[in-house]
Amino acid sequence: MNAVVITCHESSLQALPVRASQIASAGLSLSYEEQSLIIRLRNGDEGAFDELVTKHHGALIRMALGHVADREVAEEVVQDTWMAVIEGLARFEGRSSLRTWIFGILIHKAKDRGVREKRHITFSDFESKGDEHDEAVDPSRFQQSGEWAGHWAFPPQPWDKQTPEKLLASRQAVNAMNKAIESLPQTLKDVLILRDVEGVESKEVCELLKITETNLYVRLHRARERVRRAVEVHLEGPALTV
Amino acid sequence: MALNPAEQSVPDITCREVAEWTSAYLDAHADDATHVRMVLHLAACAGCETYVKQIASVRDMLGLLPRACASPAQRDRLRQAFFTRQAPPPSKT
Repeated sequence: MNAVVITCHESSLQALPVRASQIASAGLSLSYEEQSLIIRLRNGDEGAFDELVTKHHGALIRMALGHVADREVAEEVVQDTWMAVIEGLARFEGRSSLRTWIFGILIHKAKDRGVREKRHITFSDFESKGDEHDEAVDPSRFQQSGEWAGHWAFPPQPWDKQTPEKLLASRQAVNAMNKAIESLPQTLKDVLILRDVEGVESKEVCELLKITETNLYVRLHRARERVRRAVEVHLEGPALTV
Repeated sequence: MALNPAEQSVPDITCREVAEWTSAYLDAHADDATHVRMVLHLAACAGCETYVKQIASVRDMLGLLPRACASPAQRDRLRQAFFTRQAPPPSKT
């Protein structure tokens, strides 16, 4: 199968397949599925657009909610994002994945709206709060002194193999996880949604958020730990753990 | 002179450090020395093994959470905008 990359003439919405030799100049070769989707979108296939909206709308709303005041504004930001996607499809060059491109537009629009609402959290604000330097796990769960200092004082209790399946089938558990995600600071929420909810590759997340991979993992782990802790409280109650 | 086995051994890592490195470890982003120390520690520490498994489960569950959908009205608006933008211009006669 010949590899193709999507490019497009400015004045046309029709996709032009280009040979493999031209992929390098575009910077990134897209997967066959992605190429097919883009061709369908550019051919005006409403089913393809519906698929795209169904797949990403929820995550876009969640991310927008980290930047703006309320759900109504977040929905406006996401609506604007989709309009920009529709307008920009003809110019999309495949230098990143379609998903990364869409989330990049959302981040730009959400930050812009957040700044206008004076709700934008700058990186220096985040740093000054010390979140980046705090430990992910509550330090009081570890021995504080003695020969076993730094080892578990209150270790997590094992989950059985069916626990994840049961949790996903439980409305209360799903609500607990969603609530934990919603209450994350914007900087943690962005990485969690992109990396774990949407499955964006680490390098792409770093490029989108303009952070280092080390920084990504610091944030990602804090976010995952908060969700894990919410599950732990759901399963055991707050009194049984620290 | 050859080092004795104790001197050659990898320095231990605490549970507290393991907990901080867990996500990087799971995504194979920890450096080689940390990775080795993690592997050795996890082989002997049930608490940390449980913790790493739970973070992996959380990571996997996050990708499977039910997704919020666009409202029917929003979806209609977007579909209309898509249709309008993508429709070919009327041919000149």
